[in-house]
Amino acid sequence: MRQLINALLKYKNTLIYLGLLIISLVFLNQRSFYHQSVFSSTALSLSSKFNMAGQNLSSYLDLAKNNEKLIAENIKLKTLELIHFTEKFPKKRAIDTFAFQVMGARIIKNSYNRARNYLIIDQGYKDGIETEMGVISSDGVVGIVNQVTTDFSSVISILHRDLKINASFKKNGAYGSLSWQGKHPNRMKLNDVSTLNPVMEGDTIVTGGMSDYFPHGIPIGKVFNFQKPELEGYYDIDVELFSNLTQKKFVYVLKNTKKDQLNQLKNESR
Amino acid sequence: MNRDNIISIFQFLLLLLLQAFLLNNINFFGFINPNLYLLFILVYRLDGNPTLLIILGFVMGLLLDLLTQGSGGHTIATLTIAFIRPFIIRFSFGVNYDVPMGMIKGSLLNQRLLYLSLMVVIHHLVLYSVVYFSFENIITILKNTLFTSFFTFILAYISLGLFKEKND
Repeated sequence: MRQLINALLKYKNTLIYLGLLIISLVFLNQRSFYHQSVFSSTALSLSSKFNMAGQNLSSYLDLAKNNEKLIAENIKLKTLELIHFTEKFPKKRAIDTFAFQVMGARIIKNSYNRARNYLIIDQGYKDGIETEMGVISSDGVVGIVNQVTTDFSSVISILHRDLKINASFKKNGAYGSLSWQGKHPNRMKLNDVSTLNPVMEGDTIVTGGMSDYFPHGIPIGKVFNFQKPELEGYYDIDVELFSNLTQKKFVYVLKNTKKDQLNQLKNESR
Repeated sequence: MNRDNIISIFQFLLLLLLQAFLLNNINFFGFINPNLYLLFILVYRLDGNPTLLIILGFVMGLLLDLLTQGSGGHTIATLTIAFIRPFIIRFSFGVNYDVPMGMIKGSLLNQRLLYLSLMVVIHHLVLYSVVYFSFENIITILKNTLFTSFFTFILAYISLGLFKEKND
């Protein structure tokens, strides 16, 4: 103990210097937006490199299971392809006008136990990722890209309390905004759906297509429970997600190739 | 000792206000603002308490950044220079320096110049590295360091001369 105190006294100048340096770095981070962004992108690229190492190992061990999943998805796609080819008039034109370009990515860090969750994926601006791109998985919506470095990007998960997604009913197109309450990684709340529309338990909820991030009609979940408050004109709907965000490995990043046109229209009509 | 403390406090406040409200608005050639407040750390007693100097340097930089809406560069630069001052003193005056009353009396001219220029250049290098904070701007950092150091050096040298005449 005495030696410890002596050592502390001996290096007290260095310790005080380091302590004050950390305080001033925090100060710098608080005051300057430029420094804040440099710090956070450095932190992102460092943490992604560390997570990448661990993820490589676990993904190698999971290869067999992933293979099965991919085969299952392939079978599904193959059926779709066959249906498509057997139709008399191929819908080639529809694919040409589809505004989204799809890119694959691997999740190297995923969180779901905080109030504001983020993912990190192994694709960066070198691979064509930009901020504000939508991210989906094979069976649902995952989130929106919010920060990009050379090799990695971070994605705001839909399990993030401040994120709201435009969602609608598959059966009649009644829409509302979907948000996460921060409790269960499988439950979300759909607000702002007018009570004029009929709602049943088990109705399918899909993306609404009113945002620039996602195309219309990606399945999100189904109605699990709903209430009709007496004095308000809006339902209170609980949605159960189809996808299990706690065990995702691969995601698809959607690039909206016609976003320029949308933004132009928005600016002009303002 | 008491009188020294009062002079130190007076110097601290005077240099801080002078820097914040006058010298930071000079903009010589568009970008040169001599940082004369460094004089406080330069003339701090060589045998004074180094821990106190580190804290004083931090407070000085912090106040200056708050007064001038700076991002935090002055805080880190002043803190760092206060921390490494003993090493610079040992490097420029030799290991057995005995100049307790400050750097003005009893040391060789080239030793004083070395001390002064090292302090000024390192301070400015840290300051502009923190302010610009990227490798792409290394030319700008070096250019600013060079010119501003030069003017700070001249101002500091003149000011030290003034102090010296008063003391004699």
